[in-house]
Amino acid sequence: MKKITFLILSFILVSSLSAQADELSVNEIVDKANLAAYYAGNDGQADVHMTITDSQGRKRVREFRILRMDIEDGGEQKFYVYFRKPADVSKMVFMVWKHLKTDDDRWLYLPALDLVKRIAASDKRSSFVGSHFVYEDVSGRGIQADKHELVDMDERFYKIKNTPIETKGVEFAYYYIWIDKTNFVPMKAEYYNKQDKLIRSIEAMDVQNIGGHPTVMKSVAKDLERNGQTTMEFSNVQYDVGLTENIFTERYLRRAPTKWIK
Amino acid sequence: MDQVINKTVSFLTICCVLGSSLSARAASLPEIHGFLEMDYGVNVSDDNTKRDSFNLLEQRFQLKSIYYFEGDNYLSDKGASFNFKGDFTVDEYFSGKTDYDLRELNLSLAPLDFLDVKIGRQVLTWGTGDYLFINDLFPKDYISFFAGRDDEYLKKPSDALKLSFYPSWGNVDFIVSTFEQNTQAKGDRLSFFDLFQGGIAGINSDRDLLEPPLQLSNNEYYLRYYRSMGSNELAFYYFRGFDKNPTSIKNEADRQLFYRRLDVYGSSLRGPFAGGIGNVEFGYYNSREDSSGTNRLIKNSMIKMLAGYEKDLGNDLKVGFQYQYDQRLNYGNYIANLLPTDFVFDEFRHLLTQRITKLFKNQTVTVSLFNFYSPSDKDGYVRPSVSYDITDHWKITMGANIPWGEDDITEFGQMKKNKNVYARARCSF
Repeated sequence: MKKITFLILSFILVSSLSAQADELSVNEIVDKANLAAYYAGNDGQADVHMTITDSQGRKRVREFRILRMDIEDGGEQKFYVYFRKPADVSKMVFMVWKHLKTDDDRWLYLPALDLVKRIAASDKRSSFVGSHFVYEDVSGRGIQADKHELVDMDERFYKIKNTPIETKGVEFAYYYIWIDKTNFVPMKAEYYNKQDKLIRSIEAMDVQNIGGHPTVMKSVAKDLERNGQTTMEFSNVQYDVGLTENIFTERYLRRAPTKWIK
Repeated sequence: MDQVINKTVSFLTICCVLGSSLSARAASLPEIHGFLEMDYGVNVSDDNTKRDSFNLLEQRFQLKSIYYFEGDNYLSDKGASFNFKGDFTVDEYFSGKTDYDLRELNLSLAPLDFLDVKIGRQVLTWGTGDYLFINDLFPKDYISFFAGRDDEYLKKPSDALKLSFYPSWGNVDFIVSTFEQNTQAKGDRLSFFDLFQGGIAGINSDRDLLEPPLQLSNNEYYLRYYRSMGSNELAFYYFRGFDKNPTSIKNEADRQLFYRRLDVYGSSLRGPFAGGIGNVEFGYYNSREDSSGTNRLIKNSMIKMLAGYEKDLGNDLKVGFQYQYDQRLNYGNYIANLLPTDFVFDEFRHLLTQRITKLFKNQTVTVSLFNFYSPSDKDGYVRPSVSYDITDHWKITMGANIPWGEDDITEFGQMKKNKNVYARARCSF
């Protein structure tokens, strides 16, 4: 009898828990999605193969190793991007200290000149290495930059409408994100202009579980105004590899950390 | 000329195919990259150099590789790598002269947690200026700069030992290198102001440049301390060596110039400023062989100051501005000791620069304009360029070098007969 009572109790408890999950506020959903998309583990590494296809079907390839370290979950992060291809940019390094309240700090290291260049980073909506992804797609758009509304929900997704609070320097009027209800991974984003015309989309094509973290292994960004798209494929993804903060300094811009870029 | 170009294009194509297969084949070997390039620069003003019609026509074949030591040994354990980069060139300006330019050959490792070592031939850079160098006293190649070669060739390599320390209180770089002078116009390819000829000279120049002999006491020392403070980067510099330009006279009758001894003390600060990146830099140049400024044959001590600002305006448009102030110290002593026949250099120089860069077509087209303008010297230098990455392998660049000036004696004025328009085609692999 006791057992049955316990079972019933547990059942009620679980139901109420899942009912609670359904009632997550929009900000909680966005928070969880932000963490799932950009903050898996305390750090991570991945090899990225990027195929950029322009409106005339010409293809270009970028290959780089990306190292990421979270200073604080949902907060500041540091990125180190080591280029392998194309040949003319091999060994070039791009480094970002991502801040939430101020502009990011960005550096570029040009090996041919041994030059550590500081890059002005006020424009987060510009193309990342000539692809159809913008800087914000790679490092994450600050969740406080938009007003979020839960506009729809089905068995699989939360559909959230995001309207930028500051419209200056933003090419869209609003965008929708479809967030997977089971793991909070953003699966699709659609960007609309003021005339409610769809101008840009990003879609996760393949999600795999890597060390307990649902991870987007392939995504496609499409420019629907000028045509053209970029496919980003990830491989060799690992989390909690033990990156240290000193890797994200001028020392390792000039001398790539052998252990992490081999 | 047509024949030369035809020959070059087929040579480029063959080598590029060869190069691609080379980089594809090397699976277990260290990767080999590089490029093939053809450069052609048409001279658009008359001067008295070796050739009237062009000042650049060459083919260049670069190979570079990096080898990471592997296995269970000391070098692998210390993250050591071996770096190589070299250029083979065929220079039609000098009637097809072939040459080999070793740009990097060095060993890099971290023997201790707080110490990096790089020994061998290497390209070195620091400081905050954009084409303006106050504390970056490493050797430069200004012939490449004015003739229209890639920016990479503005920097000359040094034969050096570089020790980088990373204690908790900052970062320290210490470099010792042999003397390497700047490559400056000397009349064969580019004309310049030759004070012994009393004006802009070409092949008629017959100066004798006396380099400091290769010996221990002529080694050069560079020191930098730097640290970041939040998003800002603060640095202090010290240099002890030689002026890399032959600015001082050893013997007038024999037209002998020499590289005076020079100490430089400097500092810089760089960081976010007004929605962009701001930088300031300062340098005190101590002319050790004439610190009082009384020797008319040796260039005086100077101070140099720089302030710069760069901003991203969005849509792949960037602008940058710089202001540099130079002052010759002990100017009264300099003037008092001049002879009536001497050329007189000004005490002050104000220099403004502006850079504007715009990218188009998924960042495959780069349009850039860099401008130097000195209101005090009444001279300047305009550098427009357009480049297009046709594919991941092929890139073409076109541009111009337009130095101008009222006087023949000023930095850009003396280069005014070297105006050129150039084109480069490069295949990377």
